[in-house]
Amino acid sequence: MEVRPLFPALDRQIYGKPLIYFDNAATAQRPRSVLELQDRMCVEANGNIHRAVHRLSADATELYEAGREAVRRFINAPARENVVFTSGTTASINLVASCFAERYLTPGDRILISEAEHHSNLVSWQLACERHGASLEVLPVDEDGDIALPELERRLQAAEGRIKLVALAHISNVLGVVNPVREVVDIAHRHAVPVLLDGAQGVVHAPVDVQALNCDFYAFSGHKIYAPTGIGVLYGKRKWLDAMPPYMGGGEMIETVSFEKTTYAPLPLKFEAGTQNYVAAACMAPALELAQRMAEDEALQAAQRTMRDYLLEELRKIDGLRLYGTPREAERKIPLFSFAVEGAFAGDLAQILDKMGIAVRSGHMCAEPLLRRYGQTSLLRASLAPYNTLAECETFVASLRRAIKMLR
Amino acid sequence: MNTIQDIQAGIVEEFAVFTDWMDKYEYLIELGKGMPLIDEKDKTDEHLIKGCQSRVWLACKPENGRLRFSADSDAIITKGIISLLLKVYDNQTPADILAANEDFIEQIGLKENLSPTRANGLVSMIATIKEYARRGIPGQARDEGGHDRKELEPDIIAALRNVYDPEIPVNVYDLGLIYEIQADADGVVFVKMTLTAPNCPIADEVVAQVQEAVADVPGVKEVQVDLVFEPEWTTDRMSEEAKLELGML
Repeated sequence: MEVRPLFPALDRQIYGKPLIYFDNAATAQRPRSVLELQDRMCVEANGNIHRAVHRLSADATELYEAGREAVRRFINAPARENVVFTSGTTASINLVASCFAERYLTPGDRILISEAEHHSNLVSWQLACERHGASLEVLPVDEDGDIALPELERRLQAAEGRIKLVALAHISNVLGVVNPVREVVDIAHRHAVPVLLDGAQGVVHAPVDVQALNCDFYAFSGHKIYAPTGIGVLYGKRKWLDAMPPYMGGGEMIETVSFEKTTYAPLPLKFEAGTQNYVAAACMAPALELAQRMAEDEALQAAQRTMRDYLLEELRKIDGLRLYGTPREAERKIPLFSFAVEGAFAGDLAQILDKMGIAVRSGHMCAEPLLRRYGQTSLLRASLAPYNTLAECETFVASLRRAIKMLR
Repeated sequence: MNTIQDIQAGIVEEFAVFTDWMDKYEYLIELGKGMPLIDEKDKTDEHLIKGCQSRVWLACKPENGRLRFSADSDAIITKGIISLLLKVYDNQTPADILAANEDFIEQIGLKENLSPTRANGLVSMIATIKEYARRGIPGQARDEGGHDRKELEPDIIAALRNVYDPEIPVNVYDLGLIYEIQADADGVVFVKMTLTAPNCPIADEVVAQVQEAVADVPGVKEVQVDLVFEPEWTTDRMSEEAKLELGML
């Protein structure tokens, strides 16, 4: 399957050089099918969803719910009630951090996270803990970027029921290592502790079947999986979504309203107060349809593995380059590489690479505690998508070597 | 001493020879590498300006009515740009620093580096330089647009030198009691001052005298005096003459 022509953004020239887009973990480019639906909906079906009886509203509602159905199928959620639309991963996690904590967190309780969490899956819990007199328990990662399951077991055992939730990245945005989430869920459930998975990267790179994973919550964003920005998903098990109080009050989340008492709309609308980003939600359908096709394309998957192995090998050859997130089993590594280079500051490298037409990320990657653990303040990250090519990887390595030489 | 304008023009000229991005960066990197580092002892959290991409340290000390800056960054391109900024701002008077802008950065094609979204600490660094200049020297006006203020200032200072704390034979200006003088183009003057002690029994009298003396300066239409005790006055604020007068030297 030829994917590059599906993404018009990839044709761009940057400073007269062909764009090499290696910042896919931050946001992915969008395919024509998404752009076309986005446009068409703004012209033909721009009516506020779930409310009016007129045709535009009905069409928009239908497309919105089709987006939800596409999400349900993609992650194999049991029913549409399990799929709540939010504005993104951060909003999804905050929803749980707010509503779950409200219902279940009491002083002295703890939320267990790992050392490798994105700030979204850290600060939201910190805020919840502050509000409820609870605290964070942090599971360390080792030099390779792995969490230790026996340590998780030990912590849960020692906590004697005070750990109320485990919140963990499916794949860390810095390390690019697929965490053993199935095992984590099993261990946590043996201690009757629910698990939230931050799937911002996971949903893009690992097949996600929420029922097989048996996680209690799964959060992800649309824009990292070829949909527009401003749309995200919170998958939740019925028992939790039913038990949790609403997040925001407003339109569409109600059943009946009076000044004395309001009853809430059934799931999932209970958590969807206010006008939703219905265009972006509808675009989840073509975006996930393409993601599915790319995931099922064996040649494309093989090409991705080749690029990953090539970069792993070539980056390791560079003198003074320290790569983070290096699991023993290469199969657990996604094509995402964060590293520091001795004598060449990541921000400088990114700036020079930009001038060579290469888009990479630099900085603390929204994971300051993890960088601190590795004694770094800033890393460079190259993250690939199925539309990237081996030729781009070769240019990237050569350009990186040149930039390092300039700086040393 | 070169003026800020001269230095900026010089930099623009220097950069005119670069036609290629890489050459420009090579040059910035060289500048960054060659930049005298900040004194290790000044590389403290107090001097740290934190950006998401890189960190910048900036220290400032006054020297003969001018401000001396030293700086560092963990990013070398940022450091190169810092060295350009310091070429411009180091060893200049607070007034000149406040009057200057950074348009030359745009002229040499590095404007994106001063974009707030870059989060490299440079924007905050420039703000901090300006803040140092603002606080720099007593008698430094905050108003950037008022041309009249410079003409008024010597007269205001002369007037203040006629006001004495009744218990000390040194005028309020040389005692260092005047923290700030601002004059706008309309002749409205703002004086921020302190007294040697917060419980000074004749505080009102001294303030009234300052008010009167400044109001008498030709061109002054209105005077506002703000009496503050923060920061606290110490003998360090006295001029050399004042110390001599009081036998402290």
